[in-house]
Amino acid sequence: MKRSAGRLLAVGGISCGTAFALHWSGWIPLWVFAAVVVLAFPPTVLALFLWWMAGEGKEDIPFIGY
Amino acid sequence: MIAELVLATLFGLLLLGIHRKVIARIQRRPGPPVWQEILHAAKFSFKTTWVPATASRALFIGIVLVAIGIWTAAFFVMMTGGSLLVIFGIYMLHKIVEHAFGLSSGSPYGKFGGVRSVISAASEIPLFVSVAAIALFTRSLTLSDIIAWQQVHGPLLIIAFPAAIAMYLVLLSKMPFGPFSIVEAKELVSGYKTEHFGVWRAGLEVCNGLKTTVLLATFLLVFVGQLPLWWMVICMIALTVSLSFACALTPMLSPFDSVTIQSLFTGVMLVYAGIVFLWVAA
Repeated sequence: MKRSAGRLLAVGGISCGTAFALHWSGWIPLWVFAAVVVLAFPPTVLALFLWWMAGEGKEDIPFIGY
Repeated sequence: MIAELVLATLFGLLLLGIHRKVIARIQRRPGPPVWQEILHAAKFSFKTTWVPATASRALFIGIVLVAIGIWTAAFFVMMTGGSLLVIFGIYMLHKIVEHAFGLSSGSPYGKFGGVRSVISAASEIPLFVSVAAIALFTRSLTLSDIIAWQQVHGPLLIIAFPAAIAMYLVLLSKMPFGPFSIVEAKELVSGYKTEHFGVWRAGLEVCNGLKTTVLLATFLLVFVGQLPLWWMVICMIALTVSLSFACALTPMLSPFDSVTIQSLFTGVMLVYAGIVFLWVAA
């Protein structure tokens, strides 16, 4: 799990960084850069959290009423 | 723009921390430190996490991604002076996100929170009328045009004061512990987010931080106009403090009363928009 999260984090970070660099150097318009960040930022954030979280627990059944 | 995105998220969480602190001080409690919401997000991100056995796995995880994604898009639209309709479309989409958060968990508390988020859609109706009034004055719904219009004619806060009040009511309905926060009422534990814990809750906190910054900044851009960065920061903090006073001094309404008051306000706003329309046409 942590290894997959680490890979996803790297891919997301590289995507955002590359899009930023390409937009900054004028290779891609702003809307393409924005589209890449909108798609890549959420999984990057979650992958970062999943990568550094304490560990994965066993799934349980939440309280579903009396 | 990526650095701004991260800073906007942290600043939004700081504003939510200030909100909690001001409410606590008004109620004569010490309250948490102002950076508590940032610590909250960090704390949740370190916790042991799993998906509950009763949850729809794809929706349970996917909706966190959608929540962050839509407000990232709203942030870009706001920063580039794009259409106000897109930002408010995303605001509407957030209702569906709240609903999906609640329904995906398989917990009755989450489901009730999700259902209440649909009921509280009444809070969006004053938003439509507010947007209509802005369009009647400025003849445009693009943020950059609205800002340019205000540079010539003065702030809409003065010219279209009732529309600003309506939009303020919309902001109030999105603030935690407010009179219209029926989706997070204590009888539902934590409402739609009851079962989203650990990393999933940290993701939701990121969404909330971004959402707070985007909504408050959009309010200022639409009704005050473009301000220097430091003035923008100061005005956003002042706006948060005023919302905190409203939240601290009013009890949480029952779902029926909440919808009734928002619907009554919509009626008043419709009359106002009609008067503006006749005045502009004349």
